[in-house]
Amino acid sequence: MNRLCRTGGATAAALVLLLGMSACSGSAKKRSSATSGAPVATSSGSTGASTSHKKGGTVTIANVQGQTWPCQFNPFNPAVYQESLGFVYEPLVFVNILRDAQEKPMLAKSFTWGADKKSIVFTIRSGVQWNDGQPFTAKDVAFTFDLMKKFPATDLYSLWTGAGLTSVTASGDKVTMKFNQAAEPYFFYFANEVGIVPQHIFGSGDAAAHPDTWPDKAPVGTGPFMVNPCTANNIQYTANPKYWQAGRPYIQKVEYPAYLDNGPANLDLANGKAQWGSQFIPNIQKFYLDKSSDNQTWSPPTTNVTLYPNNSSSHPTGKLAVRQAIAYALDRSQVAAIGEGGQQPPANQTGIVTPTFNKYFDSSALDSSGYAKQDLDKAKSAMQSAGYSTSNPLKLSVITVTGYTDWDASLAVIKQQLAPIGIDLTVDDLAQQTYNNKLYTGDFDLAYFGESGGPTPYYELRKWLYSKNSAPLGKNASSNFERYNNPAVDDLLNQYPAADDAGQVAIVKKVEAAMLKDIPVIPVTESVDWFQYNTATIGGWPTKEDPYAQPAAFNIPDVGQVLTNIYSTAP
Amino acid sequence: MTALLLDSGTAGAKPSAPTRRRGGGLLRAVLSSKKAMVGLVLFLIFAIFAIAPGWFTSVDDPNKLAFPPSLPPSADHWLGTTALGQDIWAQLVYGTRQSLVIALVAGWFATVLSVIVGVSAAYLGGAADDVLSSITNIFLVLPTFPLIIVLATYAGKGTLSVVLIVLIVTGWSYGANQMRAQALSLRNRDFLESARVRGERRSYIIVVEVLPTMISLIVANFLGAAVYSVLTAAGLQFLGLGDPNSISWGTMLYWSQNQQALQTGSPLWSIAPGLCVALLGASFALINYAFDEISNPALRPVRRRRAKRLHA
Amino acid sequence: MRFVGRRLGFFVLTLWAALTLNFFIPRFMPGSPVTALRVRTHNQLSPEKLQELLTAYGFKPNQNVFVQYIDYLGNMVTGHWGISIGASLGTPVRTLIGQALPWTIGLVGAATIIGFVLGSLLGVVAGWKRGGKIDSVLPPVFVVTSALPYFWVGLLLILVFSVWTNGFLPSDFNYDPDLVPEFSGPFVANVVKHAILPAATIVITSIGAWVLTMRNNMITTIAEDYVRMGRAKGLSNGRIMIHYAARNAMLPNLSGFAMSLGFVISGSILVEYVFNYPGLGYLLYNSVQNTDYPLMQALFMLFTVAVLVALLICDFAIAWLDPRSRAKA
Repeated sequence: MNRLCRTGGATAAALVLLLGMSACSGSAKKRSSATSGAPVATSSGSTGASTSHKKGGTVTIANVQGQTWPCQFNPFNPAVYQESLGFVYEPLVFVNILRDAQEKPMLAKSFTWGADKKSIVFTIRSGVQWNDGQPFTAKDVAFTFDLMKKFPATDLYSLWTGAGLTSVTASGDKVTMKFNQAAEPYFFYFANEVGIVPQHIFGSGDAAAHPDTWPDKAPVGTGPFMVNPCTANNIQYTANPKYWQAGRPYIQKVEYPAYLDNGPANLDLANGKAQWGSQFIPNIQKFYLDKSSDNQTWSPPTTNVTLYPNNSSSHPTGKLAVRQAIAYALDRSQVAAIGEGGQQPPANQTGIVTPTFNKYFDSSALDSSGYAKQDLDKAKSAMQSAGYSTSNPLKLSVITVTGYTDWDASLAVIKQQLAPIGIDLTVDDLAQQTYNNKLYTGDFDLAYFGESGGPTPYYELRKWLYSKNSAPLGKNASSNFERYNNPAVDDLLNQYPAADDAGQVAIVKKVEAAMLKDIPVIPVTESVDWFQYNTATIGGWPTKEDPYAQPAAFNIPDVGQVLTNIYSTAP
Repeated sequence: MTALLLDSGTAGAKPSAPTRRRGGGLLRAVLSSKKAMVGLVLFLIFAIFAIAPGWFTSVDDPNKLAFPPSLPPSADHWLGTTALGQDIWAQLVYGTRQSLVIALVAGWFATVLSVIVGVSAAYLGGAADDVLSSITNIFLVLPTFPLIIVLATYAGKGTLSVVLIVLIVTGWSYGANQMRAQALSLRNRDFLESARVRGERRSYIIVVEVLPTMISLIVANFLGAAVYSVLTAAGLQFLGLGDPNSISWGTMLYWSQNQQALQTGSPLWSIAPGLCVALLGASFALINYAFDEISNPALRPVRRRRAKRLHA
Repeated sequence: MRFVGRRLGFFVLTLWAALTLNFFIPRFMPGSPVTALRVRTHNQLSPEKLQELLTAYGFKPNQNVFVQYIDYLGNMVTGHWGISIGASLGTPVRTLIGQALPWTIGLVGAATIIGFVLGSLLGVVAGWKRGGKIDSVLPPVFVVTSALPYFWVGLLLILVFSVWTNGFLPSDFNYDPDLVPEFSGPFVANVVKHAILPAATIVITSIGAWVLTMRNNMITTIAEDYVRMGRAKGLSNGRIMIHYAARNAMLPNLSGFAMSLGFVISGSILVEYVFNYPGLGYLLYNSVQNTDYPLMQALFMLFTVAVLVALLICDFAIAWLDPRSRAKA
């Protein structure tokens, strides 16, 4: 069950770990300066508005939560927002991580940045109704952001404190947000991650008094589905007849059973009782794919599973040569094939997730660095220069989490790969709590961990490498657990938000060079969104050819895109 | 938990009128009971596995992912391999040691603790008795398994010593209650009275006079505590609260459940270690039961003559 | 009166000890609700933000532990159990317990009673036909079943009746998720179907102890004078077995039964875990995994109180039935 805790490294990208510190930056957006008012179809690809499907059918989601449903849908409560954002509540703009941060207008028809990027004006879509029949207006948008100011616990992405938001005003169908700094990097959060809530609900009664803890049992949103009804064992959603995207959603009913464990969820997926899977299936070929030709899987990578060598000089891994040796000695393809059963692709030392972020990937730099594939000779000589050999091996331990069986298997392979170069690796399986404490405080030689990412590689790189995300040993770091500190890299990361597209790619490539030179962290495999889908009765799933949204059901707000694109194929 | 409660409850109820018995007689009686023999043989088999696992498998590191995953049973891999590529038979053989150590060590210390607390409470009497029996009763009533889960989770990595300590702390109270009851019933017996009149010291009386009389209850207690420890430890490890790197039956069960062995076509991975836990538990329980019959002749099974007389 | 006072004193003392243990054990060990929530939300939110959120739900990490302890004791007793800060962040603990309690009582309670009744009957028969065929087979069989690991029996049943039969009997949940709870035939049938395997697990593992103790009690009772007298009076065998022997043999077992009913709500964690049955045991497991202090504390108190109440009732009943025990106490 622990598995479910880390299935979605990249889920909603990242956030506030970076924002916690003042200087976050990061451009979520590519074609940002353009006023985007593109038609709906652009990002939904082949299943877009050009083809229409008849309404009907039911989809059952198998996404293990490990608990029964509390039947709360408050979008400001991170323990339950996976069941409301995308289903009931919608963002202003959807940003697709899998398509180079392509934007799709949702509740905002379009937007325009101010010249200095310190302000942005959204034009709100007209004709949208809340599912209780009230009209949706620009005032609701302003209200939502003002609420976060009044109740900081609802400001999950620290917009008012970290991003420098100073005011949000509505006038006619326009909403203007003003910031005290260039705010483009935060677009991904305030436009894509925040679900807009209705003023007439959240502005009165108990909800107004405690919007942060209010249960919101019958959520009123603009989204494609409504909760109808919720029991501890199952949430049933029915299509919102007033939904603003004409003709959608095609699917009329969503069943979301509360799976307590992977076993039954995967069993239901295998026999077709559930059609939309979002967790790891061991031995997937035999257990799932072979059961039916309609059973399909596609798991796009968005982040890395990474070996964190402690960079501080008090650990042997503080020596560059030792880190280099480990990076040379790894055969990542073997780790991926055996440890992850071929279900995750191998990563590379630049830290760029391929093919998702190919645009940023400097393959020639990787090739010339020598880290592109296993090189035991170089690894051994690096170890020798650090004073170790097979006869005088270096004892290291690596911390990992109990219950992450694939990580255990991967580390077992890594242990075997490091033995011939004179590293005696001990795998330290820890309870989640103990593991976290050690990871955050830097109490490890090596740690195995999957960081969350964002719409571009910048997000994960910044978490790994930005020195302000770190902390002295013994203190909790927010990321950068390996304690890497390189002012040049900090500078690069600081320049990124102000740069244009080409400039940002160039900056990322320079950071990649630092990854290859300093080996601050060692990416091993690419972490994927587990996704299984059944095509017997339902079409329109996101696929490799048409990656219109992150496919696993726990991705918010991507889940809303999938829900409005899938359709019943029953005659 | 209920079962154990009742098991030991009856074991305590019966020998309420103990007789002085020599150890040798006891042993002979055990050897003549079929149930006890089955239990003993099972125990011996496991003991041999535990002492020399290398005799039964050629694999030396059963946790190493040395083979292709999910093989069916074959001549090379008697029980097949796990989904991670380990030999199930080898894990089973090597896992015996930890389970047996847990049973014996936790059973032993829990019993020692119950003897100390129970006998002192009975013998000291007065305020000391009040305090000791209150503590015993509190431990008796505390919801043990939830407490164990909380303890094991927060004690970090569930190493063997953590599991052992948890089992001992939670496993002694039934025994202590019985020990106290029996020691109380002994207090005014003649042979103790005469020892007192002889002017023997208290400690002498307890060790030399009282304890030997209680030997059958103590042995029964030890066996009960051993069963409890085996089952509880396996349950804990199954929940993932043990050390997942250790080789034991409970840890095997944890991994097999984690990899959904039942559903993905390697049920032996789950069934075999569970069966071993069951057999080890059964071996202690059988010995215990036979033991009961010996110390309480009324319960012996084949007693046709007397039964006839009753019916007549 | 002194007797009642003593029992109540013990009640309070034990409850206090249980509550105290459960307050301090989790707090002096590593881990906090913040890290647990951080993991659950895929590392997306900063620890500061999460702490802020949890504070909104009543988590007070910076308050003096002693003050917290006093507050906690008061809240436990007065029923202010707070709001979950774990997996069900924001749900009142009473709601969570209220949802789970009926399922546990229904499943485990029914299974415990079935086990007791069935076991006692078998025990009566075995003890009566002393040395007969039944008696030579039953004891060893039940000695073995009572030493079986709960969860393994559950796994075995799942394998045979669910996996091999392709889902003939459900192996998880309390009812099919696409049903809406209501008091109707099909729904009740579905609930029963889901309860069969977990209940069978409990019955199989608990029945042995009842059979054995009942058999032993019967054997002791049969030797009593009043049974002989019944025979001398020429009463029918059946009448003697039920009215003379079984009735009296049952008495010592009743207190054990009362006690086991007290353990009903806590004694089923492994079964509920194996069968993903959303009862109190599962809730406890989950609360521990998520460092959900309020939920853990309330559950633990409930478990202790249940046993204590069962014991109290049992004590008073025995005292009422048998004046001798009052003197002894």
